[in-house]
Amino acid sequence: MAIGTAILRVPKEAQKGQIIRVQMVITHPMASRRRDPQTGQEIPGHFLTKLQLFHNDQLVSEMIMATGISANPFIALPLKADSSGVIKIAYEDNRGGKWEKTAEITVK
Amino acid sequence: MDRRKFLLLSAVAVAGLTFAPAIKPAFAASKLEEEVKKRLGVELNAIKEIAEIKLTVPTIAESGANVPITVEADIPVDKVERLWIFVDKNPTPWVTDVKYTPQNGQVFLSTRIKMGETSNVRAILQLKDGTFVMATKEVKVTAGGCG
Repeated sequence: MAIGTAILRVPKEAQKGQIIRVQMVITHPMASRRRDPQTGQEIPGHFLTKLQLFHNDQLVSEMIMATGISANPFIALPLKADSSGVIKIAYEDNRGGKWEKTAEITVK
Repeated sequence: MDRRKFLLLSAVAVAGLTFAPAIKPAFAASKLEEEVKKRLGVELNAIKEIAEIKLTVPTIAESGANVPITVEADIPVDKVERLWIFVDKNPTPWVTDVKYTPQNGQVFLSTRIKMGETSNVRAILQLKDGTFVMATKEVKVTAGGCG
């Protein structure tokens, strides 16, 4: 898969007030800056720097990261389901890449 | 300055130069301590270990490139500002930090991190009142995963 694509998984339905897990896997190399062992040339890093979790456009969580997170990051965060609507993740990397992914949830 | 004084002074100077580097490492803070001080603004040894933070990591990790970590805290989320993850012996000890809001409902994070070698993993909670608490666990790494 291309860099920046994500799988976002949330339960389709939840009880009001239930704490759900928002799970995601983002395709990204999370490469740190290093030197080519043969040529000695520097290879710049390429990694995600920020991930934001929104519920109906309200910011719920913000995660700041760098190369300490494994390649193709898996991340799970909690969310208190109090209304139906859209759960969105927005994330960006150190080379200016910006992506979004949404999922819908119905709260009963 | 006469010859006697000069010899004495130079002897002192040489002794000072020789011993200075040997003494210095005792005062130099470790990379982790520097990083914690820089990012959190507090000394690492001032942070209390508490049992309310549940840090789940494997005791032995086959690959340092992919170490699963789960943090769960029995502290109301509205008292929590941020969660910080540090790995003592990584080239950059800081791994990530997550900001929580009451909308999260709970303090929880599950992800996978890189580890260069066997080391302690720390989950530090920054509370709204400005204090810090943490949980520490050691992970043995058989093959490093940095770079």
